[in-house]
Amino acid sequence: MTIAQPLEIILAHGPELTAGGLDYYQLGLWAAGLPNSRILSLNPQLPATELEARLRAFLHHGLEHPILMVALDPYRRSQSIIRVLLDRLGVNPEVLTVLDLQEAMGYQDPRSCNLKAHHLIRLAGSIITRANPITSQELSVSTRVLVWGDSFAAMKAAADLARLGYQVIHAMPHPFLKPLIPCGKSTQVPTEDLEDLVRQMEHPAIQPLTEAHLVQVEGSAGNFRVRLQTPEGLREEAVGAMILAPEMRLETSVPLGGPASHPRVISHTRLEAILASPEEADRLFAPVDARVRVALQGGDSNPLALRRALGTAAQLLTWYDLQVFMFVRDAKVGAPDMEAILEESLASGLIVFKLPQFPSLSIKDDLPRLTFFDPVMHGEETMTCDFVVLDEAHQPAPDNDAVSEILGLFPGPGGFLQGDNVRNLPVITNRRGVYVAGPGRGAMDLDQAFFEADAAVSEVHQLLGQGLARAPKGRAVVDRGRCVLCLTCHRLCPHGAVSWDNRAIINELACQGCGVCASQCPNDAIQIRNFTDDQVVAAFETLDPRLTPKIIAFMCKNSAWEAYQAALKMPDTSLPLGFTPLRMPCAGKIDIDYLLKAFTHGADAVLVLACHPDNCKSQQGNLHAQWRVDRARELLADAGVDPQRLVFKTLAANSPQDFLAAVSSLTELLGVLKAA
Amino acid sequence: MDTQKHYSAVILGGGIAGISTALELARLGHDVALVEKTPFFGGRAALFCCKATDVCQKCGACLVDERLKALFQEPRITLLSAAELTEVCREDGLFRLRLKQQPQVISPERCVNCGLCLEECPAADQGAIVTTTITQNHPRYAVNLAACLYFKDGSCQVCAQICPPTARAIDLSRAEQTLELTADAVIVATGYRPSDPQARPHYGYGRLPHLITGIELEERLRNRGLKGADGKPRRIAFIQCVGSRDQQHPYCSQVCCAYTLRLARLLKHRLPDAEVATFYMDLQNIGRDAAQFKTAAAREIKLCRALPGDLKVNPDGGLSLRYIEEDSGRPVDAAFDLVVLAVGITPGGDNPALADLLQAKLTPEGFFQSADPRHRSQTSQPGLFLAGTAEGPRDIAGCIAQATAAARQVSQYVKRP
Repeated sequence: MTIAQPLEIILAHGPELTAGGLDYYQLGLWAAGLPNSRILSLNPQLPATELEARLRAFLHHGLEHPILMVALDPYRRSQSIIRVLLDRLGVNPEVLTVLDLQEAMGYQDPRSCNLKAHHLIRLAGSIITRANPITSQELSVSTRVLVWGDSFAAMKAAADLARLGYQVIHAMPHPFLKPLIPCGKSTQVPTEDLEDLVRQMEHPAIQPLTEAHLVQVEGSAGNFRVRLQTPEGLREEAVGAMILAPEMRLETSVPLGGPASHPRVISHTRLEAILASPEEADRLFAPVDARVRVALQGGDSNPLALRRALGTAAQLLTWYDLQVFMFVRDAKVGAPDMEAILEESLASGLIVFKLPQFPSLSIKDDLPRLTFFDPVMHGEETMTCDFVVLDEAHQPAPDNDAVSEILGLFPGPGGFLQGDNVRNLPVITNRRGVYVAGPGRGAMDLDQAFFEADAAVSEVHQLLGQGLARAPKGRAVVDRGRCVLCLTCHRLCPHGAVSWDNRAIINELACQGCGVCASQCPNDAIQIRNFTDDQVVAAFETLDPRLTPKIIAFMCKNSAWEAYQAALKMPDTSLPLGFTPLRMPCAGKIDIDYLLKAFTHGADAVLVLACHPDNCKSQQGNLHAQWRVDRARELLADAGVDPQRLVFKTLAANSPQDFLAAVSSLTELLGVLKAA
Repeated sequence: MDTQKHYSAVILGGGIAGISTALELARLGHDVALVEKTPFFGGRAALFCCKATDVCQKCGACLVDERLKALFQEPRITLLSAAELTEVCREDGLFRLRLKQQPQVISPERCVNCGLCLEECPAADQGAIVTTTITQNHPRYAVNLAACLYFKDGSCQVCAQICPPTARAIDLSRAEQTLELTADAVIVATGYRPSDPQARPHYGYGRLPHLITGIELEERLRNRGLKGADGKPRRIAFIQCVGSRDQQHPYCSQVCCAYTLRLARLLKHRLPDAEVATFYMDLQNIGRDAAQFKTAAAREIKLCRALPGDLKVNPDGGLSLRYIEEDSGRPVDAAFDLVVLAVGITPGGDNPALADLLQAKLTPEGFFQSADPRHRSQTSQPGLFLAGTAEGPRDIAGCIAQATAAARQVSQYVKRP
């Protein structure tokens, strides 16, 4: 029986009785005839008090009972009813399904429209009547926060958290605070606001831990147990969340040794130190008899480096009568004011060579020489200099990889923390409770770093509140009778939400409901509500033989489902009559059993639509789906079913065209197979 | 519609920055109003296409869709579309705002988005009825008073007559409304204007065929695919810095190298036999691993450090240009079926008028002036904040980060004792 328990259906429409090919009156009559169902026709334009009164009278099974709201464009045109249900009546959102009839509108003949509407209602009804009302729980969480790193972003985060009332453990690998002013000189004295920020580290709620290294982390969001190695020994701290903002370091890109170890070949930091000491600078840069030639090699890895290099060049040109040359590959002016600064430098006499590669360095007669292909003279040039200053690039903190590993984070590009997935923007990671800001994420200036510190503090505050965090209860459920403690779920969970006692335990605060664990569990011991195995199979049972071709589409809610909804709203969209949409929390939830059972229940084809690689909210759910589809194809071929009938495609939420292309190419294929 | 209401914050601008700020403030427990000048929310970024090849290219365009969906379902956000600010004053720190809202001729409760009104409108070419491809909006059609014949001289009521009787969503007698709001804080998130490609007249935009801007390419790829000289262009060129890094715009727009190369890679993915080249001055960093991106791109796209001279039409109907080749130092002629001008970010056209109303300052380039380089979402006026490209060029990721931070700052400001 598709409708497993009493279902209350609300058919929302205005005074009109038909819409396109749909006849609301007939639809209502049909729905009233469904077993185990009652139906109410309701006009969303009625005043809220009237809506509330009518709904209260109609819904007498209780607020945890399945409700199906059916309308055209319900979130815009029937928002009033939805708000009354959720806000005024307090219906549990897990048992309310809102069904958009848009899909049923796209057919030429009213019969098809109505059959489609019936199918969609049966489909939604079968799923929602097997839903569990997920409740919510308040979990006690630690209000201590670990801030990792001694960058200004870390300090800002620590200061803000302390002000909000959290206890902050401020751990850093150095013996003292060593923040970098991103495009400032190594000798630069911090401005007053930055000095003030450093002073704020004396707040009583901030506990500094210097020369600390992360050794181990256990637990998950709200209750992490962090072990740090300090000079005083091993320390264990319980924290609710972490903000990682380890400082970058400046490192010369050219390997030292060879010509680079000559005393006239110096690092940028060394040059800044010389300029800060007038005696030494005068001696080196203002000899009586000659005009000194300084060549800056680089400063073009990013706008920060360029700003720093141009600042130094300006100083050299202003204070001394020098020839200053700069060799860059591309002038990285993609930051506020950089173009103006570059123009100023050129105006003050800086000569810039733009080359595809840096010059090669050699030493002759005890002077450094740069050899390069000059694009203007169009020939190889050799320039002898008095000093060559080497490029220093902003490198990530050296222990980032170790930190990623210990924390179970997907590593970031170029040795930084936070994986390169746009879903993470700005500061989240694959683990709830762990946030990355500022130089932890990449080389950036302080304004951006401070934005990120703000965003990270906001996330921590939302998560930990005043020591109680809200989490769902019963969304991810382990059947302890079936679990055999193989720990597949623990190993696969991209969010680090699984621990164990003598059975697997899912921390519902850390769980993000992707379902990779449930679909991979060899004993089917995990269910993710409300996308349970029962519900999926019940959905298959609603396939209507009159509606062909029977294409079952599993669509990830983060991409494909949105593209599908957008496609329905485009003009002239008409999906095959037998198109059966199934919403998934992540493509990783799609069990291989679903794929096979779809065919045993009579599907002509199965379409699996997932996010593009590197775009999955759970990082690898789409990959799991791809592997399962590949395996299922083999099994189908063994069973005599043409594996072409199972299709896997990736797309994005803003690409309804890709969705339509996938559906139409599959429909075409079915046409060919049928003809053959 | 409430005509006198108080909000914690009023956000001006319904693009990605405004939407992100609104959502974050709602999450933090505030009641806010989001004001958008056009009838539709989403801004410019909602019109960009997904640039995935066989992997996501991390352009961030899909993030707009995520947030748009959440926007329309968030009860704490009051959406005011087709509304413009006409007056602002401050009283005891509170902002008093007066908005003019276009009449909602097409009713959201009744419209079924059939599109007949647009199809039958005699002044459709003048933009009397506008529509959007940003499908989360509802209704997706709106009457534009400036071009509508009924509002000009009462001569036409075709849309009201053609609207299906089961919908009857059009009421031309609806009047403009004046809304009066008060707010503790105001956030300017009014976005940017793409630079005018005709600012470089030697490229011939508007005169020559097969010459489009980056924004137009995004729109085509998003909606209907490409049509070049012969249906599928075989030789495509991108030209950088059109309206950036020049006399009138002495700054780098920060997004064009990135969107160009991502679009270029998308085109190579869709048209593997095509030849794609880009002409630039300095290639900016793209993505979080810039070196890796550049290496990968250089494998399939010709990167030419040279800006071309005049563009001309070829006898075969395509375009040709001439540039100095870096390796040989010689001028080279190259022919293309499609040339894309990478237009940059320039200040919004309304900025001066809006700055006047709000008593806000503009930078010499015309963007809104932030308090100082370390606090780019604050202005020197307490309670007035900035988010997104209204403050200066940034990409989608940058807008979201700044908007989130701005929301937190607004929240702190509003809650101050």
